[in-house]
Amino acid sequence: MKKEDFVKRCQELAVGPQFNLSEYVISEAKKHRGSKFRKLPVIWLETSDSGDNNIAFMNTTYPYLGQVFTDLIDLLYSNTFMAAQGKDALNILEYAAARLRGKFTLVVEGAVPLKDNGLYTIIARTEDRNLTALEAVMWLGPLAEYVVAVGTCASFGGVSAARPNITGSVGVRNVLNREVINVSGCPINPDWFVGTLAHLLMYGKPELDSFGRPALFYGFTVHRHCQRRSYFDQGQFAEKLGDIECMFSQGCVGPKTGADCPYRQWINHVNWPVKANTPCIGCTNEDFPDGSSPFFTPLPEKNMEEEQSNSPAPEGEKDE
Amino acid sequence: MSKKRIMFSPVTRLSGLLSVEVVMDRNIVSVANASGTMYRGIEHVMKGRHITDAVYMTQRVCGICSLAHGAVASYLLDELYDHELSDNAQYLRNIMLAADILQNHIRHFYFFSLPDYVKMPVQPPFEGQNLKDARLAPQDNTRLVEHYFRSVVASQECHQLLTVFGGKAPNQHSFVHGGVAVAPTADKVNQALSLIESVHGFVKEYLVPDTELISRVYNDYFKIGRTPASLLSFGMFRFGSKNQLSLWRGGVLTRNQISAPDIRLISEDVTNAWYLPVDGEVLPAPHKTGAYTYIKSVHYAGQPFEMGPLARMIINGFYHGGTSTMDRIKARSLETLLITELVMEWLRKLVPGPPPIQQKQKPLKEQAVVATDIMRGSLLHSVRVKDEQVEEYKIITPTNWNFSPKDKNGQLGPVEYALTGTVIPNPDLFLNTILGRIIRSFDPCINCGAHVLNAKGDVTGKIVF
Repeated sequence: MKKEDFVKRCQELAVGPQFNLSEYVISEAKKHRGSKFRKLPVIWLETSDSGDNNIAFMNTTYPYLGQVFTDLIDLLYSNTFMAAQGKDALNILEYAAARLRGKFTLVVEGAVPLKDNGLYTIIARTEDRNLTALEAVMWLGPLAEYVVAVGTCASFGGVSAARPNITGSVGVRNVLNREVINVSGCPINPDWFVGTLAHLLMYGKPELDSFGRPALFYGFTVHRHCQRRSYFDQGQFAEKLGDIECMFSQGCVGPKTGADCPYRQWINHVNWPVKANTPCIGCTNEDFPDGSSPFFTPLPEKNMEEEQSNSPAPEGEKDE
Repeated sequence: MSKKRIMFSPVTRLSGLLSVEVVMDRNIVSVANASGTMYRGIEHVMKGRHITDAVYMTQRVCGICSLAHGAVASYLLDELYDHELSDNAQYLRNIMLAADILQNHIRHFYFFSLPDYVKMPVQPPFEGQNLKDARLAPQDNTRLVEHYFRSVVASQECHQLLTVFGGKAPNQHSFVHGGVAVAPTADKVNQALSLIESVHGFVKEYLVPDTELISRVYNDYFKIGRTPASLLSFGMFRFGSKNQLSLWRGGVLTRNQISAPDIRLISEDVTNAWYLPVDGEVLPAPHKTGAYTYIKSVHYAGQPFEMGPLARMIINGFYHGGTSTMDRIKARSLETLLITELVMEWLRKLVPGPPPIQQKQKPLKEQAVVATDIMRGSLLHSVRVKDEQVEEYKIITPTNWNFSPKDKNGQLGPVEYALTGTVIPNPDLFLNTILGRIIRSFDPCINCGAHVLNAKGDVTGKIVF
């Protein structure tokens, strides 16, 4: 494009009512620098969750949330952020799913209840029917290029599926017959999630560990990288919360937890639970929270209640 | 045909999943049914667990107000174990709780509420905004859009402040029973001061003037979405060695009279909620005919009550106004400003020393109940334990009060009351906009409403604590 044309177009847009000047300038500038990156189109479904992962996502730094919206993703549908509401929002969802079939990334935040036809989580209602989380995930999952489960509920069931799991909740992988990228955590560290989105955009699918998680973030245990590892090795254990020694005695499940908290740390990378003189409770784990509970009981003595928590299998759950 | 059923769903820009069905009688809302459409049941999850799991587990009720549940569960355990809290512990606890409240209020105003009044750029996630009633002058509108993006940093700084002491956010770790596991050292206090000064600057220079501007331009909303001015608070910011003091007083305000609240006067009703009594327990019943929400009605002395920042500000004499949509927004912004000032004051009162925490090994009591105010109103946790195991855990959240469905006598909860009778000129154009503004002024958190499952026995009336 000629310089004069660009300037003219900017002048026109600057006085327009739609406030889309910056959008225009940025996309033109990107073309000019020859970037191969487009933005990742994202449909984000909130299902059976506490909403802590969308709050954690808001805490991202470098890039901050505004930069994520501007440069990294087109967040087409999100119950949390979208300006559209009511049927306008549902229309956007249907339109995006159809127009970007095979191209969008489906982010699911929360577990999927299976009992009672999934009626424990209804995404939206119309005058004559309910759209349950189960239906929405089964509808959109097969249409997406990637499916990303954000948080431990979406990845493995998490707190939503904790014993006695009366809603029969499961992780997204249990309702879709396709690969799901699990970004677990209760909540996620924003770096894990934004980093995964960036990987999808820039380099495609990341390498996954045996739980379907990006190995980049979950490949080593908390214990392996813990600043207090020397205390553990020398058998020096905290007597109470607030002490500076190893938190194994206070229930820490760092030895069985894959996550990079010790060196990544949280919220602009300032702190993490063990640095705050408390145990890691293994919130990224497949068996969280039941496999970590009681949280303050040493790992070897925790009630191994997973067998109980996993039974009975929720109706309709498919075999792994 | 003069009456028409319309489903407003999904109500976006809030925490959790909400639908609101209205019946329009020509251009007046004649019936409003607010549906919280998620159920998780943390109270079932708590049953049989060790009581000390409560702080971390109940934080998982809600992402936007996680520390509120952690705080109330800590107070509950303090009572069971009969802990003594030091001044340092209480200042640190209140600093952390306040930081989470600030995070909540700033995000509510900019991320959730602002697109009700400000025309956002036509790009994701703002496409399809369909704001037919945008009234700001273009330059003001442009400025407030820019403030939306500035608020990203300010609200992140609130959680960074919380994390300096709490280890992470949401779902912090150090605010537990018996005190706080982190030492108030000079470096941390200094970091926190720097962060709160930045947040305070944002609130003073942006949030408060932006609130003023919106309330001036949309001043008809001082008459829209009004409730009967029955306000309730159990007080906020606990101090004292036994959490016995509240910095901001609680109160029951009805017919212009204020009295002290009494937990024993709280009752519940599941007439229009998806629950049924089974063997003396109330269980979710998603197929129940006629019901329309997972949120139960909660009453005080048999009456619905509104709670939240507006209730606190009026009861404490900080705000003098009505109980409309815009009053709720103004009171929340005022409270945000006051809290930034309190955090600065509390940080300066910390005395450097070891982590202010002392946990006793065995609970002395088998039952406790605590109600205190947090972001959206009063949060109640109650527990019965045996041999340190939870026999019964109950949670009543502010959402249960504000989003109460109609009870057996047809009494409207605050949100449904605020919606009913609203005149919508040209519903085809303005229905979503006007309903959305009224509903969001209550700062809905449906994740919080998604758990309440109470009580043995008397399902129609009193809770036995």
